[in-house]
Amino acid sequence: MLTTGFKLWFGIFVAAFGAAVFAGYTSGGDETGPLTVAWKGAVGNHVSYGLLISVAAVAFGLALFSIAFRDGDAEAAAELLGTETAPPAQRPVGGSWWPIFAALGVGATAVGAVVHPAVFVIGICAVAAIAVEWTMTNWSEKLSGDRAHNAAQREKLLRPVEIPVLGTLGVGVLVLAMSRVLLASSVNGAVVVATVVGVVVLCGAIVISRNPNLPRGMVQGVLLIGFVAVIVAGIVTAATGEREFHQKGGGEHATDTQSEDGH
Amino acid sequence: MTDTSLEADGATALERVVTSTDANTLGRYWLGAGSLTLLASLVAGVLVALERLDLGGAEVFGSADEIFQFWSAYRVGLVLLAIVPIIVGLGTAVAPLQVGSDSIAFPRMAAFSFWTWLIGAGTTITGFLIDGGLGTPDAGSQRQAVALTLVGLLMVIGGLLGATVSLLTTIVCGRVAGLTLRRIPLFSWTLLVAGTFWLLTLPVLAANAVLAYVDLRGRTAVRFGAEDAIWEQLSWSFSHPQVYAFALPLVGIAFDIVPVSLRNRLANHDVVLVLTTLLGVVGFGAYAQSFFDTPGTPVMYQAIYVVDAFAAALIALALFGGLADTLRRGAGNLGSGAGNRPPAPMVLSVLAMLLLLAAAAVGALRVVDPFDLLATSATGAQMTLTMGAAFVGAMAGTLWWGDRIFGKVSSQGLGLLAGLAAVVGVLMIGVADLLSGFMGQNDFTGASLAAAGSPDSGVDALNVVALVGSVLLLVGALGWFANGIRRLTGAAAPADPWGGHTLEWAADASTVEVTSERPLLDALEHAGSAS
Repeated sequence: MLTTGFKLWFGIFVAAFGAAVFAGYTSGGDETGPLTVAWKGAVGNHVSYGLLISVAAVAFGLALFSIAFRDGDAEAAAELLGTETAPPAQRPVGGSWWPIFAALGVGATAVGAVVHPAVFVIGICAVAAIAVEWTMTNWSEKLSGDRAHNAAQREKLLRPVEIPVLGTLGVGVLVLAMSRVLLASSVNGAVVVATVVGVVVLCGAIVISRNPNLPRGMVQGVLLIGFVAVIVAGIVTAATGEREFHQKGGGEHATDTQSEDGH
Repeated sequence: MTDTSLEADGATALERVVTSTDANTLGRYWLGAGSLTLLASLVAGVLVALERLDLGGAEVFGSADEIFQFWSAYRVGLVLLAIVPIIVGLGTAVAPLQVGSDSIAFPRMAAFSFWTWLIGAGTTITGFLIDGGLGTPDAGSQRQAVALTLVGLLMVIGGLLGATVSLLTTIVCGRVAGLTLRRIPLFSWTLLVAGTFWLLTLPVLAANAVLAYVDLRGRTAVRFGAEDAIWEQLSWSFSHPQVYAFALPLVGIAFDIVPVSLRNRLANHDVVLVLTTLLGVVGFGAYAQSFFDTPGTPVMYQAIYVVDAFAAALIALALFGGLADTLRRGAGNLGSGAGNRPPAPMVLSVLAMLLLLAAAAVGALRVVDPFDLLATSATGAQMTLTMGAAFVGAMAGTLWWGDRIFGKVSSQGLGLLAGLAAVVGVLMIGVADLLSGFMGQNDFTGASLAAAGSPDSGVDALNVVALVGSVLLLVGALGWFANGIRRLTGAAAPADPWGGHTLEWAADASTVEVTSERPLLDALEHAGSAS
C-alpha cells in the first residue's frame, strides 16, 4: 500500500516536474529537451528549469525513502524487527567523550588555519580520527541491546588499530619531547636527566608490577602527570633552544663528534 | 580508548561534566556560558557608551579603530554570544519536556554543538581582545587577530546551527501522541519558527564571514573587497529585520507564562501561532545586505524593507493586544495567588513584550524616509530594544522554568528587581539613541567622531542617559547572574510551583492524554467535573 508520505512527496515530484516541463516549453525549449532533462535538446531558461527539476528530484528521493521505511511508522518497524511492541522512538544514550574531542579538533583546525599550518594539520587529523571513532561507536551501539556486548564488539574491531596508532603517537611525542630536553641540557646535565628519567621509569614500573591491586585511577593519574610533565618540559626546552655545538677538528678529515662550548 | 558510553556510576565528576549528553545539563551549560558572555558584552557596551560622552576624541580607547572593535564586539557578543545561546539553553532544557520527549534529538550532536560554540566564543573573544575583532587591518587592527575573530565566529555559528537542528528535530519528531503541532506549547512553537529562520539565515552569515576571511588571508590571490568592510558585510545580522528572528522566542515565553499565571486559557491560540510565524517571516534578514547593493535603489530604500518594518510593528502590536486581552480576562484570578501579587515571571514577560513593541515602533520610524534615520543611532536603538526584550524574556523564562531545570528555588524578588533594572536600562538606551538619531548622531561614532554630533546639539546629554542605561542593564544582568548562582545552593524546588498547563510540569508526560494545547489543565478540569 502506498503510504501517506509517499503520496505527498510523489505528488510534489509530479507537480515540480510538470512545472519544469511547462517552464521549459514556454521559455525557448524544443520538443524533447524539457522531457529528457536536456539529454535530447534544449530546455529554455536554465535557472528556472534547473530549480524545478531539482525540487522534483529531491521530492522523488524523499518519496522513495518514505515508502521504503513506511513513513517511519512504529508498527511497521515492530513488524520488521519481529517484536510485539514498537521500539522506543529514541534510545537514551550515555555520556560520550567524542563531542568535546571533536569540538577541540574543530577548534584546533580553525585556530590552526590562522596561527600555524602544523596546528591546522593536527586539527584535521584529530577530526578525521574522531570521525572514525565516533562512527564506529554509533555502529557498535546498534548491534544489540546489550551494552557490554556492543562495547566488546567495538573493541574487537578497533583495538588492533587504536593501540598501535596511539602507542606510536605516544612514543613519538615522548621521544621528541625528551630529545628537546636532552639537547637543551649541558652534556653532563643530559646524562643526569637521562639517568634520572630512566631510573624513575624503571622504579615506577617495578612498583606497579609488584602491586597489581593499586587503584586504577591512581596509576592512570600518575602516568598522565608524567606524560604531561615530559611534554611541557619538551615545549619549554624547545622554546629555550638547543645548547651551542662546535664541530671538532675541521676540514677534509673532520669527525662528526661534537662538543659543548668549553670542552 | 575504551567504550565511550560512560555509565554515570563509574565516571568521575569531571568526566560527567564534559561527556554529558543530557538535555537538561546541556541547557544549563548554555545558560551559564551565555550569561558569562552576556556580562562581557555588556561591559564592552558600557565602555563604548563611556567613550561616547566625549565625541571630541578617543579617550577610553586608543583609536577610532579600537572603539569600533569594542562597539562591534558589543553587538556581536550580545546577539551571537549571549542572547541567542541563552535562548538555545532555555530551549534545550525546556522544549523536550514540553513535547514529552525523553531526551533531545541527536544528543551527542547537541553536546558537540555546545562545545563547538564555547570554543568558538572563546576564540572570538580572544580575537577581540588582541586588537582584532571586526576591525579593518589597514586602520590599525591586527590582521591575524581579525582572522582569528572570523574563524571563532564561524565556530559560534556552527555550534548554534547544530543546537538548532537538535532542538527543531526534537520539537517535530519527539512529540508524544496527540500533541499535534497546533497543540505544542508556544515557547516550543516560537523556537520552531525562529529556529527555522536561524537555519535559513545563519549559513548566510557564515558565508559572509568566509568571504571576509578568504579576502583577508588570500589578498594577493583574490580580492573581493570584503576585507575593508567586514562589519558592513555582517551588520545585517545585528539590525532590522534579522533581530526579530533572534528575539522571537520571547513571545512564546510570554504566552506560556501569562495564561498559567492568570489560571486562564489563551483565547486565540491559533492566531498567536499565525502571528508568531509571520513575525518569523518578517525577521528573515538575509536579503537586507546593503554591502551587496547593486546599481539602482539600495536595499534599505526598497519597498520590501520598509514594508517589513511596518509589518513587524503591526504584528508586535497585535501580539501585545492578544496578551493584554488575556491579562484583562484573567485579572480577576490574580487574587487567588499567593499574596495577591502577580508572579515575577509574568511581570517581566509582559514588560518584555512591551519592549518588543517599542523596538518594532522604532524600527518603523527608522525606515520613514523624511526622518533620515537609517545610518543614525536609531539603528542601535532598535537593536538594543529588540535584544533587550529578548533578554528580559529570557530572564522571565529562567525564573519560570528555573525550578524545573535546576531543581532548586531562586529568589523571585531579586529576579524581579534585576529584570526591572534591565527593562529601565534598555528603555533608557533605546530612547536616548533614538532621539540622538533624530539629532543626527551616527550609528557608530568611532568611524566619524567629528560628524557624530557637537556639544551644543543635545546629543551629549542623551549619551549620558544612554550610559546610565547601559550601566543599569549591566546591573540587571549581574543581578540575574547572582540569582542564578544563588539558585545552585537554594532549597529543593517543588515539582510544579505554578500549576502549569503543559507537559513540562507533568510527572510522567507519557501518561497524559493530550487533547488540547493545555493537557494538564484539561486533566484538572476533568477531575474537577468528575468529583
